[in-house]
Amino acid sequence: MNLSAGQLERIGAALHEGAAQASEALGKWINRPTRITVHDVEQLPLEQATSVLGTAEEPICFCATEMRGRLTGHLILAFDDASGLALADALLGQPRGSADAWGEMERSAALETTNIVCCAYLNAMIRALPEEAGEPNELVPSPPTFARDFAESLVEFALMDQLLVTDQALMAHTEFHIDDAQMNWSLLFVPDAASMAKLSPVG
Amino acid sequence: MSRVQDISRSLKMGELAAARDEATLRTLLGSCIGLVLYDARQRIGGLAHIVLPASGGRLDTPGKFVDTAIPALLSEMQALGDRPIRAEARIAGGANMFATATTNTVGRQNIDAVESLLREHRVPIVASHCGGEKGRRMKLETNTGVVTIEVVGSESIQL
Repeated sequence: MNLSAGQLERIGAALHEGAAQASEALGKWINRPTRITVHDVEQLPLEQATSVLGTAEEPICFCATEMRGRLTGHLILAFDDASGLALADALLGQPRGSADAWGEMERSAALETTNIVCCAYLNAMIRALPEEAGEPNELVPSPPTFARDFAESLVEFALMDQLLVTDQALMAHTEFHIDDAQMNWSLLFVPDAASMAKLSPVG
Repeated sequence: MSRVQDISRSLKMGELAAARDEATLRTLLGSCIGLVLYDARQRIGGLAHIVLPASGGRLDTPGKFVDTAIPALLSEMQALGDRPIRAEARIAGGANMFATATTNTVGRQNIDAVESLLREHRVPIVASHCGGEKGRRMKLETNTGVVTIEVVGSESIQL
């Protein structure tokens, strides 16, 4: 299932809307100037897609939510330990470097951040997608879950449903800036096979 | 698909490789299956990173599907041997990594398909490390046949 340039552009436009809304929500949540930017939206061969979060030996952290409604699949906020713990410090009002392990408070900070970003993202996305008769006009994230694992294992699992119907993975590259400093966070928008089919006719 | 001699190699999704003597083959797994076949007499081993249960007749990426990966891996190993391959199998993977994932059963289907086809090829499965919610790194040392499984947050184990 290869998407045309026009289809990728339409999907990209919806993702840009989502990123703008999520920037605002995240900025309010952490009380800092925040910018989330979507760059390239592209389809990659699966061999390349699995290394999109890097192939480093160190594991990464991620918070995953399941999308429900008009589109189904997953939204995943992934980050390295240092970036995630820095966020926890900011939210808990403590000096940077105070959090040095993933305790209950640190996980809760990451999960709540994911919840806020994903809700804002999906709310904006659904507004940007053309309405379809008979389809629910909503996108709702499930409560997120936190895990720490190998990056390639994470991306492989997340893409599995797309791989049932195509050898190409739909990827949107996202950057996070807080106080004008780039954070080592990635937001993965991963529609499942059914949603890929819904996105294909667009454009 | 490739034959490996005296090197270390990481396999991506859908790839397979066979090697003998001092090679190391490794791969990272989520819901995919890592299949190691090893002939201890000839010190020939192979690893496949299998993605889906059935090829539906596709032959372009044999390592991707259970029904094409197993014969292709056996064939690669045979090409390195002086005698008929007598392999035993170790499998790992098939995780369901998101507690929220309600529909992903591909991991279980992969495990069932691998077990079934190995029975047809009369290759015994001597160890497995499948299921659960965590990714795995699977590593084969072809000199010894030792297969190591690493899971984030746990001690590595030998299969």
